Amino acid sequence: MGARLAGTGLGVARLLFQAAGIVVLVFFLCRVVPGDAVDRMTLEGGLTLAQEAALRAEMGLDRSLPVQFVDWAGGALHGDFGTSLRYHRPVSDMLATALPSTLKLAGFSFLVGIGLAIGLAVAAAMSGSRWLAGLVNFVNVWSIALPTFCVGVIAILIFSIWLGWLPVIGGLLMPVLILGMDNAGQIGKPLFEELREATTSAHVRTAHAKGLGPVRVALFHLLPTALPVALAMSGLVLAGLVAGTLTMEILFGLPGLGSLMLNAIHGRDYPVVQAAITVAAVGLVLINALMDIVHRAVDPRLSR
Amino acid sequence: MKSPSLTLDRRQLMLGAATASLVAVMPVSLSAQEAASRGGVLRYATLGLDTSDPHRHTGSIAVQQLYVEALTSIGPDGRVEPFLAEGYEVSDDGLTYTFALRDGVTFHNGDPVTAEDVVANVERVRTNVKGGWLASAMKLVDGVNAPDDRTVVIAMKEPYAPLANLLSELWIVSPKSDGWNETITTPIGTGPFVFGEWKPQISLYAPAYKGYWRGDMPYLDAVEANLREDLDKSGAMRVGDLHIASVPRDEARQLAKSGDIHVSQLKDSTWYFVSFNNRKPRPPFDDPRVREAIMYAVDKQAFMNFLAGDDGVVTNQLVMPGHVYFDQGLHDADKHAKPDLEKAKAMLAEAGVKPEEITIEFLSWQENYPQVVVQMVRQLGFKVNHVALDDLGAQNRLGQYDWDMNAMASGPRADIFLRFVRLMSNGPNPVLWGGVQDPELDAIVEKAVAETDEAKRKALYLKAWDRVMDNYYTVVLGHAANTIAIREEVQGYEPGFTWSPNWATGGIAQTWLKQD
Amino acid sequence: MAFAHAHGSAGPQRSGVAVVAPVKDDREARAASEPVSDPRGQRRASALGALVGGAIVALIALAAVCAPLIAPHDPLAQDLLSLNQGPSAAHLLGTDHLGRDVFSRLVMGARVTLLVGLGGTCVAFVLGAVCGLTALALGRIPEAIVFGAIDVVRAMPGILLALLLIVAIGAGTGPVLLALGLSYAPHFAYVARAAYKREAAQDYVRAAGLFGGGRLHVLSLHILPNVMGGLITQGAIILPRCIVTESVLSFLGLGSSPDAPTWGRMVSDASRYLEIAPHAILIPVLALIALTVSLLLVGDAVRAHLDPLRRVQAAKGAA
Repeated sequence: MGARLAGTGLGVARLLFQAAGIVVLVFFLCRVVPGDAVDRMTLEGGLTLAQEAALRAEMGLDRSLPVQFVDWAGGALHGDFGTSLRYHRPVSDMLATALPSTLKLAGFSFLVGIGLAIGLAVAAAMSGSRWLAGLVNFVNVWSIALPTFCVGVIAILIFSIWLGWLPVIGGLLMPVLILGMDNAGQIGKPLFEELREATTSAHVRTAHAKGLGPVRVALFHLLPTALPVALAMSGLVLAGLVAGTLTMEILFGLPGLGSLMLNAIHGRDYPVVQAAITVAAVGLVLINALMDIVHRAVDPRLSR
Repeated sequence: MKSPSLTLDRRQLMLGAATASLVAVMPVSLSAQEAASRGGVLRYATLGLDTSDPHRHTGSIAVQQLYVEALTSIGPDGRVEPFLAEGYEVSDDGLTYTFALRDGVTFHNGDPVTAEDVVANVERVRTNVKGGWLASAMKLVDGVNAPDDRTVVIAMKEPYAPLANLLSELWIVSPKSDGWNETITTPIGTGPFVFGEWKPQISLYAPAYKGYWRGDMPYLDAVEANLREDLDKSGAMRVGDLHIASVPRDEARQLAKSGDIHVSQLKDSTWYFVSFNNRKPRPPFDDPRVREAIMYAVDKQAFMNFLAGDDGVVTNQLVMPGHVYFDQGLHDADKHAKPDLEKAKAMLAEAGVKPEEITIEFLSWQENYPQVVVQMVRQLGFKVNHVALDDLGAQNRLGQYDWDMNAMASGPRADIFLRFVRLMSNGPNPVLWGGVQDPELDAIVEKAVAETDEAKRKALYLKAWDRVMDNYYTVVLGHAANTIAIREEVQGYEPGFTWSPNWATGGIAQTWLKQD
Repeated sequence: MAFAHAHGSAGPQRSGVAVVAPVKDDREARAASEPVSDPRGQRRASALGALVGGAIVALIALAAVCAPLIAPHDPLAQDLLSLNQGPSAAHLLGTDHLGRDVFSRLVMGARVTLLVGLGGTCVAFVLGAVCGLTALALGRIPEAIVFGAIDVVRAMPGILLALLLIVAIGAGTGPVLLALGLSYAPHFAYVARAAYKREAAQDYVRAAGLFGGGRLHVLSLHILPNVMGGLITQGAIILPRCIVTESVLSFLGLGSSPDAPTWGRMVSDASRYLEIAPHAILIPVLALIALTVSLLLVGDAVRAHLDPLRRVQAAKGAA
């Protein structure tokens, strides 16, 4: 029990360390980027050098980096991510607009992905069908070799423009399916391999021998093996999803964290970049921790 | 020089809208074909919206004209027309501008617009706003006052010809707007639509203002501006997710074929140019002969054809043919109208330049057209290190003056001076043009600005331009207007001179949607 | 089988620094390396696959090496009068949006593309596997530091990290490689750690340590050969991913220089002209798929060859 608590404490310390590392890394990376928000005003509105200097002072961009960092980190701890240099709006408001869309997109496509992967892998492993195994491999290669933006462009052309079935702006179905397929490819293959070993294992054979139907075998004997592996893969898949949502947000005009970040990077709007990446990364760390707990719960080998 | 306000009304009549506007109570649609039908939300996507404070805009000004208006506006022909002012007079010495305000204009909160409000706006821009196009003009303002409720007088320290044009971008906002003393967060303007809900980078929802001063306009229930920078507007136009959008020209050509979309363009052009580093030129690029030789390798016709097909105009000037400041003689004498590789090579040899040994540091944005220029320059044997950057990366790198050449573009402007000012030693953001520092050029432009006679002003501007061409500071490749795609259900909209969607004689106030 | 084994032996050691993660990471790493554990019946098919895959990879590599001899046109030369043209006698695979010969770009692009893929994979390998293994061999504290850093990098959304990095240090092949390497380093690191823990628990490795072999000595002599199989399989997956990610970076406007004809850039450039010039996007995509499939097949074969457990199984199967 004590060891368990100590373990939890260490786990929390580790999470905090990761979060802190991310915050520091993002902050300093942002400041190495050439060009700042004042440059943007110069670019479009035309400022003289003296005006630029005055504006930088006003925005606090002329202070030393550590001072800026302490200032920012202090605010961030209280949920105050500052004000957008470009839009003069609280960054937290902008995050609040972007987050739901990203969560929806990422959540749905993750569910579609994991569902598709489990379904496909279980079916392929149980049936021993070459055709289904080929399908698993196909989806896997698809996810590695085809950039999602490329699939997105093609899907828009076919389903929106030629067939007129789906909207380009704001539609959720296409991006969810595209990302889901991508996730399924990453999870499906290793899951399939694992299951194929499991189907030949003694207890599954016994189950068959006892005359249990294929559905029951799948539910009670294969799924327990499948879930932990699928969960284990999910960490990497979720990390990849942030990138995936970014390209989908751009293609389908969805308001999300990814495009918020991308635009902020192009606009050198540091407070927004910092806040958005921090939220995404810390969220990822938390989700990973959560997945780990679930993982322990479903995998009997780990709870020992 | 009083501009008759009557013409405005007559044009509205011609547009088939004012019949109803004179008798506002009357229900619309006398004849189903001609009368505007009311209602609908127009989805519009051109440029973004950087700020809710109309005085602090950073250049992306294609959206805020929905809810704010200015004393003047720029007509489709590029000439200034009175807008919130009924008319204005300039004194003979060019120092005093007297504006007569239009009657019956109210802010979105119902307050009538008074001369004091206008003065407050000019003062706010003069004292609070540091950057922007208006900054240099505001420095020359001696004083602003309101002799009566309907008259505003702006006194200048020296004559400044571009003033009336530039005032089209000094938007009049109610001093009661939230954040007036700092950054305006909810602008209360006079425009046909109200600043509704703004989601930066995503959208602005602007519902119609019922008390708008132009007759029974606006006809639309609301405008929803899509502010995404990275949107696939062409696809969205074809599907009908957008009604009006700016699209790249090659995509516009595709759209035009689809049948339910027609393609139009802004009336002022975007000009494409090659600039050399003028602030810290590196040999041999400090030699005008070498610059001239390089330009002989650039096939302007092929370039413009690539860029804009038949709509591209090859010229050597800052404005398109048809513009007041265009000079046919100068245009006809363009040495670089046709490429001449042999001549280019001979000139380089004469200047003792061995292109094979030189790598040109070439900067551009991430577009296709610079690659065309780069490839043409490579024909001379130069090695080219082409660095393509995003807006701010390019801005920053250009400012370091550690490059040799660039290929870039610059969009519509409310006044020709805004093109020349970038070539001046202390001009705002001169980096795209290599940071020209030429006191003699400055002097000529300053004289042109102070000249009240249009013909003499034109002669001075042309003299300045001659000097730019002789020194090969920057070389114009040609002009092409920005393309705007409009779905067929959109009625009564034709793009204006600049990106602004609202001006005295047209624009989005009189636009309506044909409903099936 | 190897999986359960790895857990069985790594288990008791799991008391130190990282309590939550290693277990999961082992699994992740294992899963990420996507091993193919063919039952005996499929071994022949796998051998054939490896052969075909190897042939395709060799062909692409050959094209990359001899590109200037094969390419009929300068990959940068533009024919502004024939933009986005379909295949013809003059241009075998048609032209792109700048009137450049797609076939020549594909062939010349193989060079840059493989360079980006290999380069990115190598950087990731060095940052992830080499640093990771060295830290593991040196003890608890270096391990905690290096893997702490890797955890931080992994928690960052990879592509955004790459974006930020490229905007920070400028576009170009170097920064792209660094960005790719950094984003994929964790994949190598976790595989390396899983394999290391498995091997380190083996009796012979403990014995080597007891007999006074230096830590790095033990690492290089006893552990490395057994870890390489998993790492190489991982590399076969990371390589095409690097190529694809470069394409995404290009799509987002931050790829390598606009002149470099990488397949990724070809895909992203052509995506705007999909409708009028589908060939310009399909051709590099097909090339990308061929390369990916081949690398996966080869990776599997290499792994099967290097993995000690497999060798044992294979020997048993033969006997």
